[in-house]
Amino acid sequence: MRVGVIDEVYKLMGKNKDIFFLTGDLGYTAVEKIQEKYPGRFINVGVAEQNMIGIAAGLALTGKKVYVYSIIAFLILRAFEHIRDDLCYQDLDVTLIGIGSGLSYGYLSSTHFALEDIAIMRALPNMTIISPADEIEARSAVSHLVTYAHPTYIRIGKKNEPVVYTKKNTSFKLGVPTVLKKGTLDCIIFVTGSITIEVLKAHELLSHKNNLQCTVINISTIKPLILKSIEKKIVKAKCIITVEEHGQVGGLGSFIGEYLLQKKYHSDFYCINTGTEFIKTLGSQSYLRKKLGIDAVGIAQKILKFYKKV
Amino acid sequence: MGRKTHTTLITKASDIRRTIFDMLKPHESHHIGCSLSIVDILAVLYFDSMNVFPKKPNSPMRDIFILSKGHAAAALYATLSLAGFFPKKLLTTFEEDEGALPGHATNTVPGVEVSTGSLGHGLSIGAGFALSFLHDKKPNNVYVLLSDGELNEGSTWEAIMFAGHHKLHNLVAIVDANGMQGYGKTKDIIDLTSLVAKAQEFRWDACEIDGHDIASLQSVLAKKKRKKPLFVVANTIKGKGIGALEGKFESHYKSLSKEQITEIVRNLNTI
Repeated sequence: MRVGVIDEVYKLMGKNKDIFFLTGDLGYTAVEKIQEKYPGRFINVGVAEQNMIGIAAGLALTGKKVYVYSIIAFLILRAFEHIRDDLCYQDLDVTLIGIGSGLSYGYLSSTHFALEDIAIMRALPNMTIISPADEIEARSAVSHLVTYAHPTYIRIGKKNEPVVYTKKNTSFKLGVPTVLKKGTLDCIIFVTGSITIEVLKAHELLSHKNNLQCTVINISTIKPLILKSIEKKIVKAKCIITVEEHGQVGGLGSFIGEYLLQKKYHSDFYCINTGTEFIKTLGSQSYLRKKLGIDAVGIAQKILKFYKKV
Repeated sequence: MGRKTHTTLITKASDIRRTIFDMLKPHESHHIGCSLSIVDILAVLYFDSMNVFPKKPNSPMRDIFILSKGHAAAALYATLSLAGFFPKKLLTTFEEDEGALPGHATNTVPGVEVSTGSLGHGLSIGAGFALSFLHDKKPNNVYVLLSDGELNEGSTWEAIMFAGHHKLHNLVAIVDANGMQGYGKTKDIIDLTSLVAKAQEFRWDACEIDGHDIASLQSVLAKKKRKKPLFVVANTIKGKGIGALEGKFESHYKSLSKEQITEIVRNLNTI
């Protein structure tokens, strides 16, 4: 996903000389072409995320559009107060490209996981949060948001994620959810991020083995999310499920839950996520997904078990 | 703004001090001592060193000033008002319900470039401004005023390293070295002497001056062609200019009674 996003930024930099790209000393085999082509607008700030956010703010205050690149755990968690005060409070045109969503860093363990980022970024006024399902949607989002001049956080995985979309069937629109599978209103599944592929596989399993035709909706804009177009479907659903590679607190499940309460939704609701504990098992992303029951098979089993009780 | 004489700048500094006391709310406003310690620096910057355009505050020709020690907002607002950025009557809304002037510098106020209040932000943002101007080959200078306590923040040193490495020669950092911070004396909490040597080690030009000596400030802050960023350690006195507050640690937090403010203003008016 990161190579695709970097490639889109590279293309935009060719069209707009006011675009700067900052990295916190990361991006090996991904950002080199920006550095080579646009050395004056490529700044490796060093391992100094707080300073990087401040520099981005200063550049943006002179009219530049700034992309800032690092691993989510450092970019968002380390520099959080700088993001709040420097970017959000002043509503600046800075896009944070955070890599390593969820469990992407697998064997590198908890210091490199991003399981709290949606929760804290959702809390920030003026912050837009994009969580694409795959590289194609991520590219589309970057391209679509080039004229969007507000603080934006793009939460992406790492590399070689399976694709969900084709170039023809994706057209990212800010705030708009995408129905990936039209099923019945017995069960609506909301999903965000690179785990979407697991949900689609789970959908296949449930559809073929259990004859459960779920509706799958991709929430690629976490904030601001506009659910009006599907509101009628949501309130009529027999049950609603959320799936995310993020902790239980404050993520997709939390804000869909808030929405359902506001809409006086009275049916069953179930959140699938990585829980509330540090993940102490060592493993690759796919291994950990399996271990936590958030791979395709695990998701299908959880959904079925829940659905049977509804 | 045209260059001003030494005498005029001393008068401007007195005006700023008097204006600060016009703004303060009895028994409520604090950060008085740390506002007074930067008054002479602000007088020289706004009425001598910087290119400012009070009637066109967003002029592309302007120099940039960032009050990284945003808690000294009263001094900045007083200076901006006297420079003509906004009417004096706006000062009466300082720290008032529905007022226009928050207790920390906020860029909704005409002339305030950057919202500050949390320490350790201003120099990074200043470096971003400076980087942009150098990239675009623009002549604008960037001035960032920091507190000495603020040098405890790691992010400030990240910015110092960055600016030195990238030779941001249009960037000037001024440290209001009044020797006191939130809970004691700077040298007792984290002793950073010598700041000049440290800044030089990080590839800045650096000097130490009397932060209340108008001539020294004029000389150091005058626009010059440099090859490196400039780090100015301005030795100041907390509460400068008000005998009852000078050098007093408690002037950072303590608010004044209406009678005390009236007495101070009376004394200032007789000077």
